[in-house]
Amino acid sequence: MNDRRTHFHRELAALEADLVGVAGRAEGMIAEAIRAVVEDAPDVADAVIASDAEIDRIYLDIHDRWLELMARQQPMGSDLRLMSAILVLNATLERMGDQCVNISKMAKVVHGLPRSEQILEELQEMADLVRPMVRRSVAAFIRRDVAAALTLPEMDEPVDRLNRQMYQRVVACGPRKEQLEWATRMMMVARALERIGDQAVDVAEQVVFLATGEFREFGDTAGSGDRT
Amino acid sequence: MNMEQPDMSQIASTAELRPVPPARVSDEPSSEHPVVFEVRDLDVFYGDFQAVRGIDLDIRQHEITALIGPSGCGKSTVIRCLNRMNDLIETARVEGTVTYHGVDLYGPDVDPVEVRRRIGMVFQKPNPFPKSIFENVAFGPRIAGLTADLDDIVEESLRRAALWDEVKDKLDEPALALSGGQQQRLCIARAIATSPDVVLMDEPASALDPIATLRIEELMIELKEDYTIIVVTHNMQQAARVSDRTAFFSVEVGEGGRRTGRLVEFDLTERIFTSPSEKETEDYITGRFG
Repeated sequence: MNDRRTHFHRELAALEADLVGVAGRAEGMIAEAIRAVVEDAPDVADAVIASDAEIDRIYLDIHDRWLELMARQQPMGSDLRLMSAILVLNATLERMGDQCVNISKMAKVVHGLPRSEQILEELQEMADLVRPMVRRSVAAFIRRDVAAALTLPEMDEPVDRLNRQMYQRVVACGPRKEQLEWATRMMMVARALERIGDQAVDVAEQVVFLATGEFREFGDTAGSGDRT
Repeated sequence: MNMEQPDMSQIASTAELRPVPPARVSDEPSSEHPVVFEVRDLDVFYGDFQAVRGIDLDIRQHEITALIGPSGCGKSTVIRCLNRMNDLIETARVEGTVTYHGVDLYGPDVDPVEVRRRIGMVFQKPNPFPKSIFENVAFGPRIAGLTADLDDIVEESLRRAALWDEVKDKLDEPALALSGGQQQRLCIARAIATSPDVVLMDEPASALDPIATLRIEELMIELKEDYTIIVVTHNMQQAARVSDRTAFFSVEVGEGGRRTGRLVEFDLTERIFTSPSEKETEDYITGRFG
C-alpha cells in the first residue's frame, strides 16, 4: 500500500531516530558517571556533567519538533500512539541524563574520602545491570517488540535488591566518620541508578502501549511492587 | 526548469513602478527565500461593496503560503488579485500595490494574459476541458506556440502532477472519465504545462475525498521545489499540514452590516498553529470563533 503521507512519516521517523540517538548517549553517560565514582575521577565527572548539555539541547529540539508535528499533522491511530510514546520517552531519557549528572556530582563531592570496595563493587554491578536495561528497552521500542519489553521488570529486580541493601552497607560504615560521609553519598548514587532502572521499565511500558494501545504499569502486574 | 529569476521584460516592457508604502514590521526571522509578491495596502471593491481592506502580505519563493479564515473574509478575493483574475469581473476595482518580482502587476503595460501564464491557477472544482487527457495538458503550450516538444511537455507535466503512471496508457481518453482526484491532478498538470512561476490554488481539495486530498497535499509539497504556491483553504488542518506560512483573515462588520475582509495575522505556520500572536487567531484555530 502506498504511503499517502510520506512527508509526515519521514519527519516522524526522523524524530524517532533522534530519540534513539539520545538513548545511546544516555547509556554512555551511565558508564562514564559510574567510572567517575569507581575511579574517584572528578575530571570524568566534569565531562559527564558537560555532556548533559547536549542531551538537554536535543531534548528541547525534539520537544519543539514534536509540538509542530502534533499541531500540523493531526496524527491518528498508530501514528498518534507513537507521538505519545515519543513525548514520554523524550522526557524519560532526558531524566536519565539528569541522574547521571547527579551521580557525577556525588563523585566530585566525595573526591579523596575513604571508600568501601564492597560498596563500589555493588554500584558497578548496578550500573552493569541498568545499562543493558536501557539498551533492551530502547531496542524493544525500535522493533516494537512486546516480548522483549515484558522482560524489563525481571531485569529490574536485582537492581532494586542492590539498592535496598545499600542502606545496610552504609550503616556498616558507621564508626568511620569520613567513610560514612562517603557512603551516605553512595546511597544517593545507588538511588540514582535504581531510578534509571525504573526509567528503562517506563520505556518498556511505552512499547506495550505502542503495540496494543493499552497502557499499564509493569510494576502493578509483574508483582515486584517496588517501583520507588 | 529555472524559475529563480523570471524574465520580466515579457510581462511589461516599460513597467511603471508605483511607490510602495513601508512594509509592516514583523518580528519573524528573515527568510532565505526571496519575495515573489509584495502586497501593500490592498483594497478590493465589487461595485460599492468593499470586499477586503488594507491587506499587507509578502509571498516568498518556493514556499507554500496558505490563506485561511471564515467564509466571506476575502481570502479568495486576495488570491485572485495575484493573477488579475478580478479583471474578469466588470465591477471589480483593485487599489493599493501588488508587485510581482518588483514589477507593479497592475501597471499600464502589463499584459494580463502573460500574467496568467506565469501565475497559474487551480480551482475548487476540477474543471478539465471536455477533451482528451493529452489535449487538456497540451492546451496552454499550444496557445503559447510551444508545439515542437508537445509530447515531452505533456509527459513532464503529468509526471510532476503525479498522474503520469495512472494515465500514460490512455492519453487519448476523455479527461472527464477520470476520478475527481485524478481530474484535479490533471488540472494541476495543465496549470504547470505553461511553465508558470507561481501556482495559485483556490480550495483545491474541497471537492475531493480524504485520500485524494492527501495526494494533492503531498503533491503540493513536491511542487514547491519548483514553484511558489499560494493556497486558499477552508480546511485549517490542511493549511497546517502543507504550508510554510499562514495568513489568517477575518471579517469586520461595519455600518449597515457590511462585511469586509481583513488580514489579522501572517506568520510561520508552526507559530500560527501553536502560539499565534492575535487572540482572534487563537479563537479561530481553537474553535472559539464567533
